[in-house]
Amino acid sequence: MRSDPSDTGGLFVGRRPGTAPVHYRSAPDRGSALRQRVDGSLAGVMLAGIVVLCVLCWGPIPLACLWIGSQVNYLTGSVSLGILISFIGLFTLLFGALALMRRLDQAWILVRRAAGHDQRTGALGRVFAITAAICATAFAFWFLVIHGPGVGS
Amino acid sequence: MGLLDYYRQFEGMTEEEVNVELRAEAAERKRKALMRVDTLDLSQTTWPELPHPSIVNAITFVARRGLNRYPHIGAGSQLRDELAARHEVEPERIILGNGAAELLSSAARALIEPGQRLLSPWPSYPLFPLMGRRAHGRSVPVSGGVDELLTAVAAEPGARVVAIASPNDPTGELLSTAELARLLDGLPGDVAVLLDESLVEFADAQPRDASLALLTDHPRLFVFRSFSKAWGLAGLRVGYAIGGPGARELLAELEPDLGVSEVSQAGALEALRSCSELIARRIATVAHERAAVIEGLRARGFEVTDSQANFVWAAHPSIDGSELSARLARAGILIAPGDALGEPRHTRIALRDAAATTRLLDALDKSL
Repeated sequence: MRSDPSDTGGLFVGRRPGTAPVHYRSAPDRGSALRQRVDGSLAGVMLAGIVVLCVLCWGPIPLACLWIGSQVNYLTGSVSLGILISFIGLFTLLFGALALMRRLDQAWILVRRAAGHDQRTGALGRVFAITAAICATAFAFWFLVIHGPGVGS
Repeated sequence: MGLLDYYRQFEGMTEEEVNVELRAEAAERKRKALMRVDTLDLSQTTWPELPHPSIVNAITFVARRGLNRYPHIGAGSQLRDELAARHEVEPERIILGNGAAELLSSAARALIEPGQRLLSPWPSYPLFPLMGRRAHGRSVPVSGGVDELLTAVAAEPGARVVAIASPNDPTGELLSTAELARLLDGLPGDVAVLLDESLVEFADAQPRDASLALLTDHPRLFVFRSFSKAWGLAGLRVGYAIGGPGARELLAELEPDLGVSEVSQAGALEALRSCSELIARRIATVAHERAAVIEGLRARGFEVTDSQANFVWAAHPSIDGSELSARLARAGILIAPGDALGEPRHTRIALRDAAATTRLLDALDKSL
């Protein structure tokens, strides 16, 4: 499927763009079957970590930053300072989490390959999109059904 | 191997790194391709280039028109008419054949009775001795020129045919018209001369059709030409014979029973009509390279005949022909040693273009 031109209806005579096989600098020295199973499990744990970090980005981190901002506002009486601190915290934590997820994703690729899979791309993009869709749906359900727009005001 | 190193070995190369490797491999392939030198075959007297596309087109046209039928035998031939106009003779004095060799053999069979003699200078075209034997006669090789031939004919009461190639293969020497006339005048009236001029297009020492002028006064002279050499159409097997005004009966005997293939005639006719300039350039190239090769070989101590053909016949004073051939073969150049003709000291070296001449002389410098 990845490199068969017949799957493209003849559009690409050779391999489709972006479907090149992985070129290793030298043939990897693979571990035993047990080690590959362990690597498979480790890859699962890493993927779970990525999912958790993604979910944090869509709810807990913004909420935490808003709470910190509100505390600053309460302590200083300055709304602007509260907003500023909230945004600084938000961007720092979001970009930090994204950087961490990126590194985790790269490591996940290597561990997947070590586990014996032909892993060519990472999972971060898909995980990010899926968690975004789930969290948006959950927020919409909470906002529209549970809380109700304008109920608290 | 440490834990991190174990996983790092699964890191793939970036596209840029892969491209660098691919570019290096392509450069290596190109370098090797440029280093590879094709064998230069100077052992054949046929022209090495492919036929002109217009010739191939003409052949294809005729082939598609109808290979299922026989050629029009006896209905005249455009090729013969074209040749007649080219040589300024009557069309009836020209007979087409499947190559000059077949016409020469037919002439020998028609002229020689069992036990009679065919004389030919030697070394010469290897077909000549075979022609005499196939006609149930005897072949007599003669070393030397016209004088020796006349002496040999006088000494052989059964002599009926003298076969001469001009330019001669393998020596490349041209029999001048004056010498040919002297030979014809000195021969008994019942001796025919078969003059094989398959290579005459390459000669520049005298007009190409000079020998044809002798046909009128010598009805026992027959001239044979070919499309296999300068015209570069050896695969078509087309040749022709020209005789004098009184030689029509014998010429008719030489004609192939079922004629010459229409396909072959179409190719030869197209060559005459559209490739004359190409052939002229080819002949000029050969003449230029012939002078360069002869000069180069003589400068390196070779004995070289004054060739008028598309090859030279050379002998080194201390290296015999087969040894020289083997040395040049190691340099990727093939030449024809003279062993098969009983001349082990000699080799026949075909002429090509300036690049081939340079490569030959360079290889000789390294091989001698």
